[in-house]
Parts: sequence; structure tokens; C-alpha cells
Amino acid sequence: MDSQVDNLIWKLRRRQIVGSRLTAIETLLVLRQYITKAKFTTIDQLIQKIKGIGARLVAAQPTEPVVGNIVRKVLHHIREEYKTAANKPGSSIQSSAFSLRNFVVSGQPRHQATLQKTEARDHLTRSRSDWHHDNHAESLKPVIMEAIQDIFDELETVYESVSKSAKDHIHSDEIILTIGKSRTVESFLKAAAHTRKFTVIVAETAPSYGGKSTAKALASAGISTFLVPDSSIYALMSRVNKVILGAHAVLAQGGIFAVSGSLMVATAARAHSTPVVVCTGQFKLTPLWNLNNEYGSADIENPDAVLGFDEGSLVDKVDVVNPYYDYMKPELIDVLITNDGDHPPSSVYRLIKEAYDDADHEL
Amino acid sequence: MAPRSSGKDKSLNDEDEVLQAVILADSFNGRFKPLTINRPRCLLPICNATLLDWTFEGLVLAGVQEIFVVTRSHSEQIKEAIQKSKWSRPEANLKITPIVTAKESFSPGDALRDIYTHGIITSDFVLVSGDLVSNVAIQDAVRVHKDRRKTNKDAIMTMVVRNVGGSNHRTRFVRFIPRGETGLFVLDPETSECLHYEPVPASPYKTHAHIPREILVQHPEVEIRNDLLDCSIDICSVEVPSLFQDNFDYQDIRRDFVRGILQSDLLNRNIHCYVVNDGYAARVKDTKSYAAISKDILSRWTFPLVPGANYPGETNYEHQRGNRYVPAERSTVLARNCKVGRNTLIGRLSRIHDGAEMISSTLGDEVVVGPDSVIKDSYIFDGCHIGRKCVIDQCIIGHGVRIHDRTVLRKGSIVGDGVVLGPDVTIPEFSRISTFPFDEEDDDDDDEEKVVSPKPSDAPTKAVLGAAAHGYLWPPFSEEEDEGADEFEDFENSRFLRLGVDSSELDLSDPGSDSDSDDEDAGNASDVSEVSQPTSLAPLGADGASVAEFLSECTQSLERAFAEGHSVDNAAVELKTLRMASNVPLRRVKEVVVSFFVEKIRIVDGAAEQRKEVTKVIGRWGALLTSIGGADGVETCAILQAHCASTPKHMTLFGPVMAALYSSDVVDEDDIREWHSRPESLGRDKPAVEAANMLKCRGVGSVMLRQFDEQEDDSEDSE
Repeated sequence: MDSQVDNLIWKLRRRQIVGSRLTAIETLLVLRQYITKAKFTTIDQLIQKIKGIGARLVAAQPTEPVVGNIVRKVLHHIREEYKTAANKPGSSIQSSAFSLRNFVVSGQPRHQATLQKTEARDHLTRSRSDWHHDNHAESLKPVIMEAIQDIFDELETVYESVSKSAKDHIHSDEIILTIGKSRTVESFLKAAAHTRKFTVIVAETAPSYGGKSTAKALASAGISTFLVPDSSIYALMSRVNKVILGAHAVLAQGGIFAVSGSLMVATAARAHSTPVVVCTGQFKLTPLWNLNNEYGSADIENPDAVLGFDEGSLVDKVDVVNPYYDYMKPELIDVLITNDGDHPPSSVYRLIKEAYDDADHEL
Repeated sequence: MAPRSSGKDKSLNDEDEVLQAVILADSFNGRFKPLTINRPRCLLPICNATLLDWTFEGLVLAGVQEIFVVTRSHSEQIKEAIQKSKWSRPEANLKITPIVTAKESFSPGDALRDIYTHGIITSDFVLVSGDLVSNVAIQDAVRVHKDRRKTNKDAIMTMVVRNVGGSNHRTRFVRFIPRGETGLFVLDPETSECLHYEPVPASPYKTHAHIPREILVQHPEVEIRNDLLDCSIDICSVEVPSLFQDNFDYQDIRRDFVRGILQSDLLNRNIHCYVVNDGYAARVKDTKSYAAISKDILSRWTFPLVPGANYPGETNYEHQRGNRYVPAERSTVLARNCKVGRNTLIGRLSRIHDGAEMISSTLGDEVVVGPDSVIKDSYIFDGCHIGRKCVIDQCIIGHGVRIHDRTVLRKGSIVGDGVVLGPDVTIPEFSRISTFPFDEEDDDDDDEEKVVSPKPSDAPTKAVLGAAAHGYLWPPFSEEEDEGADEFEDFENSRFLRLGVDSSELDLSDPGSDSDSDDEDAGNASDVSEVSQPTSLAPLGADGASVAEFLSECTQSLERAFAEGHSVDNAAVELKTLRMASNVPLRRVKEVVVSFFVEKIRIVDGAAEQRKEVTKVIGRWGALLTSIGGADGVETCAILQAHCASTPKHMTLFGPVMAALYSSDVVDEDDIREWHSRPESLGRDKPAVEAANMLKCRGVGSVMLRQFDEQEDDSEDSE
């Protein structure tokens, strides 16, 4: 079993798995197999084991937060299932302990949250002592597997779910600007093209040039597409009705990591008061803050794409930096379109609270 | 196994074959001495992970599942290191077998013969050396190789080469193709078969390559490329070791094996190249490439094989702005006002004290840098202790070295493990210091017996290395040391491969070497190389004596040409050769030729007669002025003017000669106008008599120009 975890760790380290969704699916598969075979007497044991695996997976590729998200999501489901099972004989308060409604009703979210956390912990310890010797925890496996299957289904259909509302966001004869290569954005635009006629301007996204393949895909789907150099983004912005971006990760305060160049697009859009729309699956919501990456990038890549081998003598004299992601502050984003509806960046924290358990933020 | 696996795994499973690799973990030379006295080169750390780890990672990245490590010296150490490393843990899914070859084997060829006798190779395998840092997708090369083998059983080997070419040819050798071990490849562009290979040493500088004629007969199209960086990754088929066995004189893989196969009429085997256009691959062959590769890793050229991502070592590093790497566990202690520059890596539990400065260097684990010390472009291994106010510039410092206060290490020094230096001394450039005395007999680094504790240093050493020193200063790197080694290991060549060597410096003292090394000074490279070529040939070119000699030679040559009626072309070639040989500017040659012409013209009475005489000489020989190079009519006019002005008897000839030159197309109307309009034609800087003559000549020119203006071509009339 461990070999599979290691296998995934190696693949993550070596960047043999790239792309948020693929990484998420791989992580989920490994976790599912682990849980199938895992032996545990109490639910805490399982949670600790999964946390341990999660920590190793996250360490393998710290710039891909999706790995951690999936682990947290699985843990959240395990806790939920356990709680429902434990509370079958009554006390419905605790099962909904983490929903926002309670915070709003109580009016003291922070106080309440800590209170409930301790309550929940009390509850867990109490129940552990209750069930210390029976095998109740392992009998939860089928429900946990079911929950994992739900996450799986969600990942499988994430593009379609995000694209559901496409026609509500894109209107006829609009000019849309996008950058980079994002499957989510691509399917969103293609879905809108079924009912609307609009024009898409794709920035080429140097030095990875992901924009080129996006433009190709959109044009072959019959959408009127322009491919422009990154340098003309600002000049074109006055004509653009809407900017649609993909995200690498959505952070807790509503900011996102997106392919480098996105920050420039968003800043130009802000200058022209053009709305910025971010399309993302919920699995990219990350309960982390951008504290370490002062200049915005989470991943500095090979400088080869910026300054080629043939410029050899220059390499000694200049420092070449090729950041892969930009960090965009929440202020630059107008709306996040997820597979679970549309949200302003300011309510991301709430989605995160609902999706993950507070106790799992640190793996 | 996860159901969705990357394409690489699938292809391997499809073929249902374990990909094998052979690592030659011995360097078979001593370029890293004294660092390699008590540890093998492949266990030297680069960016705090051993070279062997980097090599393993590069191979695993390519899907290799079984690795044979061929060791010779320090084989026990290597075995132990492999056992302890993460590669031999079950999760690495890797089978590593160390193979110890006999001490007598002293070349890669011997090692391969040994592999043959072991009989371990069962399929096509990847052959690399134990000092490779690579993120090249070798698996593609393997696939291409295997496909080719299906149709052509004679394709026994595929060499992986990295294309580093580009429009700018000056730069490409500088960094990525290390001087001293380059090669020239002749490829068939269609099949990418390697038709010819020629190794190029840095010294003696090669200007010619010999390509067998048959190649050009058999292949309608060939590519001759010197822009390929040899990654030293070879995909070999099973029979390669047996070929080594059959040809016991093959030593080096490239220089003997590849050339041997390609030139042999009997073997009838083919070797192919696989040209990759992205990825990084380089061998740590010498101290110079050690430094270059360290820098490349730190500036992330090897991504994702960098600290903080897919780092082969054990420590988990964090990448910070400006390519600074610190351990993620934050176990380093950096004083508040120490300076950590860009492109630096600091190992675990290291301490940098107040005021210390570190610039593009790496520190190993548990290194202490004292207050106000400066470390620049240096590589310091684990456990070193550096005192206060030390300066270390472009050095490699071995494990556990102690450097006392105020010691200065000049560039290129290499300090072996356990040495103690200082205080208050300055170690000269390119020093090599070890705890073992220099031993000339010992031609290699395989001395496990040497673990006996060395004698304490004697008094003269202490004067150089400091009062508290412990160690021997080795004699300077010299020609004698490498006596008997082959062309590629000799002194002239190896000295290019040392850390801190600036090849342009060496060139000044070494006229035999090429001008292309000047390219390292990127800015004015082209000018420099153009100039340096002639100067290196005749450094005294401007000297009076040699000029005089040139003049007489030149005149004699022209005399011969006139007397024996050489063709213009032959005469031009002769003059050109003369010019090259004595390194005089083109103008000098022209002056000689023009004055010679004018001298040759017999002075006769009567304008028409005179013209005839002039035409006789100029009509026959005028073209020579153009052929000797630089068809600069303006200059010709000016030279003619100057000559006629300086010799009064030729004054009258100016007009006719000019006209003749015009009619034989040596100068045209525009040239004359240009000359006429130039201020030099007034001859103001000349003595009074000459100036007057200059003016007279110019007057003749004015008349000519007027005639042009009137559309009357007087030279036509004169015919």
C-alpha cells in the first residue's frame, strides 16, 4: 500500500502529474485504496494515518495545493460520516455544528467557532472512550467509500458543472479576454457558444504559450477567436467586456494563484473597470493564506523558456526568473464561478469552512 | 499502481521489459584531486547532494528500473552510500547492483569489458557516468532506439546530444559546451545516423576536421555540427559490451569506441544520435564544470531537479527570492547583518555570523562562517569551520576543513578533506592542499591504504599555510604531473578544465590556442577574436625590421610576377600570403603595389606615347589591386596621389595612371569624386613641397572630374 503513496509522491515530485484536476483524481485514488485496505479500530487512528499521508503528499509538491485539499476533503467526509453515525440517537445540533447558519444565528461567529470546536473535540474524545473496544469505526468504511465516490463524481463532472451557468455570464456580441490554458475556462466558453455568439481574445501567455492551444481549441469549436501578444493586453482592454480567467488555486481570503500574466490582465481590467470572472472547481479552494510568496509566485520554473541555451554567455550576467504563477489579490476579482454556484471572493472563507474541517487545516 | 499513470510507465509496461542502466561510477582521472583522495568523485556533493544521487534521479526520471553501478576505487564507500540512500528503499522501486571492477581497469572501456564478463545485461541499456546531472527525457531516446532496432539490427548505439546551437555562434561554447572536451558530429539529417565523430581538444587548437570522402559519397545530405553538447548518455544495445570485449584497445567510449565503429569497414554497425532540444544534461567532469553546473542548478536550469522541488538529496530546501535556498526546517542561523547574496544554498545547521557575506556559493551542512568573512563563487562541503575576516574566492573546500582567522584563499584553490589553514596567510591561486603529501607515483585516487594518519606538516609548509596549519601544499599543477597521459588528459588541455580558469587569460600566454576562447568576454568578442588571430601569429608585426623585410619580399614577388608573366590571381595569392605572414595592413600592400606599378612605367616623351606605356602596365596588372582584397577605389586614388606627390619624377604620371585605372575598372567615377572631396587629398599634413605636389595631383583630378561632368570620357578617347 505504501508503495502506491510513494509512487504518487515520486510522480508529484518529478512533475510527472501536472494539472489540478488530474492531480486531484490521482490523490483521491490513492486515498481510496488506502482506506479500503486500512486497518483501524478508532476513527482517530484512520484520521491520523490519512493526515500523515497527506502531509507527505503535500511536501512532495508544495506548489500544488489541490493535493492537500483532496486530503482535507476526504478527512472532512470521514468526520461527517462518523459524526452522523455517532449521533444517530439524537442531538442534531452537533451534526450541523459547522454550518454557517449557526454562526449567523448566534451572531458571534468567532467565539462560537472555537466553542464548537472544543465541543466537537470533547465529543470525539468522549466517543473514543465509549467505543474504544468495539469495531464500530471500521464498519463505517462503506459509507466513507460512498462519500469518496461522491468527491470522485464531483471531480469527474467539474467542467460541466462549472459551465452550467455559462450562458448567464456571457451575452451575445460580447468580447471576452482570457489568458493561459485552462480546461475549465475552455469548456465554459464552449458551453456558452452553444447559445451565444461572442468573440474571444486569447493572450498568448509567454513564455509557456498556453494561450496558443486555448485559441486553437476555441477556434476549432467555432468561436470567433483572436490570439494576441501579451503586450497588447492593456491596449485591447478598453474593448473587452469581460475577463475570464482560470485559477490554479483559490486561497482562503479569496485571492487566487493563476498562470503568470493573469495579474497583468486583472490589473489592466481594473484600470478599465472591466469585470474579472474566475472559473474554478471547488476542489481548488484552499484553506491557506498567501504569506510566503511575497512577489506573487508559487513556482519558479526553468529559465530556459525566457533565455535560451543559445544565449549562453548572458546567463552568467543576468539572473533569469521564470515564475509560473501570479498571485491575484481578492480585490481584483469580481466573481468566482464554481461548480457550486457563483460566489464573490469575500465569501470564499465560508465555502472553505463548509468544505473542510478546521482541525485539518494543518496536515 | 494507480490506473491512470503517465504515458511513460505504460510504454514500459507494454514492452514488458525492465530498462537497465549502467553507471560508470569511476572517473578514471584525477581532476578533482585532492578532494578525491579519500572519497570517490561520484560521492562529492554538488548542491549538497552527491553526484551519484543526481545521476540516479536523472535515470529514474527516465523510467530506469535496474541500475548497475560499476565502481573501482573506494567501492566500499560507494556500496555503503547506495545502501543508505533512499534509492535502495523498497519504495524507490529500483534495483541497484554495485559491481566492483578490478583495480587494473583504468578506462571506461575496461569497465565495459568487465560488464561483459559479468553477463548481466539482458536488453538495451542506458550507459551514463556517475557524475551526470540531467533532466533530459531519456525515455524518448530509448523508445526511438528500440524502434530503430526493430528494423535495423546494426544500429547498436544512440548517443543523446543536446542542441545548444542558435544564431549566435559566439556564445554557445562558452558555458554549455565545456572547452577541452567538445566534439564534432557529422550526421545524416534524415536518419540522424552519426557518420563521423571527431573529438576536439582545447589544446592544441584544431582548425581542421577530416571527414572521410566515402561519407559524402554514400549520403547525399550531411550535417556537420559542432553545436551539439554531448550529454554522455548512450543508449546501447546488448552487443556493445561484447564489441568492447572483441576490441581490447578501446578505452574511451567516444574517442575509441565511436570512432572505431564508424571507421571500421568490417564491423558494419551504425551509431545514431538523438538530438534533444530541451532539457538539461551535463557531466561534472572537472572543477570548472563543477562550478558551472552548481550555478545552473541554483538558477534552476535543471528544473524540476532543483533544491526545493525534485531534489535528490535528503534535506528539504525552501526556495526564496533571488534563488536563495535554505533548509525548510529553518535550522540555519543567519546573523542579523550577514549578507546572503543571490544564487546561494545553505545547508542544515549552518551558521553565518555577523557581517559575513556569501555570494553565489553553496555551504554544506553544519558549516560555520565567522564574522566579516567573504565567500564568493565557492563550494564549501559539510562540517567546515571558517574563522573571522577570511576571504574565499572561487574555491572548493572539502569536508571538515578548518580555516583560521584572516586567511585569504585566492581563486581556483582546492582544499582536501580535514585540512587546517591559517591564521593570517594568503594562499596563492590554484593551490591544492591536502592532508596527504603529494605523491607522484600514485596516478589515481584508489588508496584506501592511505587512511594512515599523515605526518605533521613541516616548517616551510607552515610558512605558507599558516602557523596552525595541518596539511601539505601540493606542487603547482604542472606539465610533468600528467606525463604520459593521452592528448585529452595532458596539461595543455586539462588546465582549461580547472575552477576559476579564465580561458582568455590563458590565451595571452599561449599563442597556440584559439581565438575563439576570447568569446568569453561577451561584449567585444568578435573584435577581439579578429585581432588576436594575426597578433598571435606575428606579435612583432608592427616592427620596423619586419616591415622592411615585407617590403623587399613584396617587391621581389612582384618582380617575379612581372618577369615570369604570372596570372593576376596567382600574384594576388602570393601577396596575400605575404601579408598574412608578416601581418601588415592591407593599405601597406597597396602602397607597395601602386608604387611598384608607377616605378615600372617607363617615362617617355609625348603624351600619347606615355599613355601607351601606362596602359601597358595598368591594363595588364591593374586588376591586382582589386584582387589583393578590399576593392577600395578611394584608397587606391589616395595612395597613387601620395606616391606621385612624394616622387617628383612621377608627378607627370599621375593623370595617365589615374585614367588607366579608370579605364580598367579599378577605380570608378564615384571613387574619384570621393577621393577628391576628402580633405586628405589636399595634403595639408605633408611637408610643403609634397603638399604642393598633392595639390597639383588634385588639380589633375579636378580636371578629370570636370571632364566627367561634361560627359566627355577622355579615357575612351585615349584608347
